[in-house]
Amino acid sequence: MIIFIRIEPSSPVPIYRQIIDQIRYQIATGALKEGDQVPSVRQLANNLAVNQNTILKVYNQLCSEKVLRIERGSGTFVAAGRHSIPAVERKKTVGKLLREAAVQAIHLDISLEQMKEQLEKEYEAIRLMRNKTGAKSNE
Amino acid sequence: MNEPAIKIEGLHFSYGRKKVLRGVDLEVPVGSIFGFLGRNGSGKTTTIKILLGLLKPDAGVCKIGSLDSQKDVMKVRQSVGYMAEDQQMFGWMKVTQIIKWVGSFYPGWDEKFARELVDLLELPRDTRVKNLSKGQNSRLALLLALGHRPKIVILDDPTLGLDPIARKDFLRYVIGLLQSNGVTVFFSSHLLYEIEPVADYVAILEDGVIVKTGKTDELRQSVKKILLRSAGDIEFGGVGGILDVAKMGERIAVTIEDYSEAKREAIEKKSGCAAVDEVDLNLDEIFEAFVIGNRGKKVKV
Repeated sequence: MIIFIRIEPSSPVPIYRQIIDQIRYQIATGALKEGDQVPSVRQLANNLAVNQNTILKVYNQLCSEKVLRIERGSGTFVAAGRHSIPAVERKKTVGKLLREAAVQAIHLDISLEQMKEQLEKEYEAIRLMRNKTGAKSNE
Repeated sequence: MNEPAIKIEGLHFSYGRKKVLRGVDLEVPVGSIFGFLGRNGSGKTTTIKILLGLLKPDAGVCKIGSLDSQKDVMKVRQSVGYMAEDQQMFGWMKVTQIIKWVGSFYPGWDEKFARELVDLLELPRDTRVKNLSKGQNSRLALLLALGHRPKIVILDDPTLGLDPIARKDFLRYVIGLLQSNGVTVFFSSHLLYEIEPVADYVAILEDGVIVKTGKTDELRQSVKKILLRSAGDIEFGGVGGILDVAKMGERIAVTIEDYSEAKREAIEKKSGCAAVDEVDLNLDEIFEAFVIGNRGKKVKV
């Protein structure tokens, strides 16, 4: 029950965000699958040498987003529930990130065509990784 | 609210004519890990020594729980775990000998617990202190600070001189051994990036005063740098929380604490220039802004 998380101390991204992003990434690539148990707050805190309250905050947020679920007495697991988040909400989340990407693209003079191409590549790469790890596809 | 684990009020201290502390105020909540941050020579060790009753302040009060650092010196020493900066230990003693020796000073020493700690901290029982590695040395010092099961632990720059792996190991013990058991940890360091992952709260001491205190994650979010485009002189009179102003070519970088949209608008209005960018800072940059920022005073544009 070990998950690989790397903390970049010199990053302007807060530590709890770094951990959340990496857990999401691992679920997206299939490194963590639905039903997998994740370490307890204590274990992960100890493992990363990070304050327990930070990990607690991470788990609470991921639980409220239904990415993880806590089963009393037995531990914390990767939930199926992210599909139960309304499509509108899911779109909104992705939309926010795409807007940031669009800002950067315009700023750096990347055309819409180039951007679409790059996005497709990234999307495929993650899907490929997911298939390799044998995770269930979303379709 | 509960009585804080540590409370410092109006602390002043001078070495001769040199003022080291000029009114330090601090409150450490029970059960928290509190990072006490400052550059070398900012007064961290002096504060800690006063807290333990090892130095007498010119003015001010320090409380550890309900104990007064100056009036209840013995009780304070019995109830607090203290690891000194660069702690000196008798080199000729073996690990088990020094544990026994230090334990003899504490009526509340828990021998069984101390023995467990030897294993947990992976210390070699029969090695002489002078032959320990730096990492082992600091783990032994930690053990000696914990053997009487204190509820408050004060660590003065405990990771000084440790390599990054030994440092992370040490912090792991602080979390696994102390935080998990509800012990309050007051921990000084000059490295913000080291404090961030472990501390619930931070206070930044600079030139004898606390220049910032707050929750660690809020500190991150509250400080931002905005870039203004300007050709000439600008004025920020009346806008609070400006930590640093620097001119970079055609742009002026303003570092602000307690950042908000409203504050940004106030700065834009005051200076008459539009913000062209807004940047998140890493912790070292935040630390720098607090300790060496010019607060907009000396800016020559």
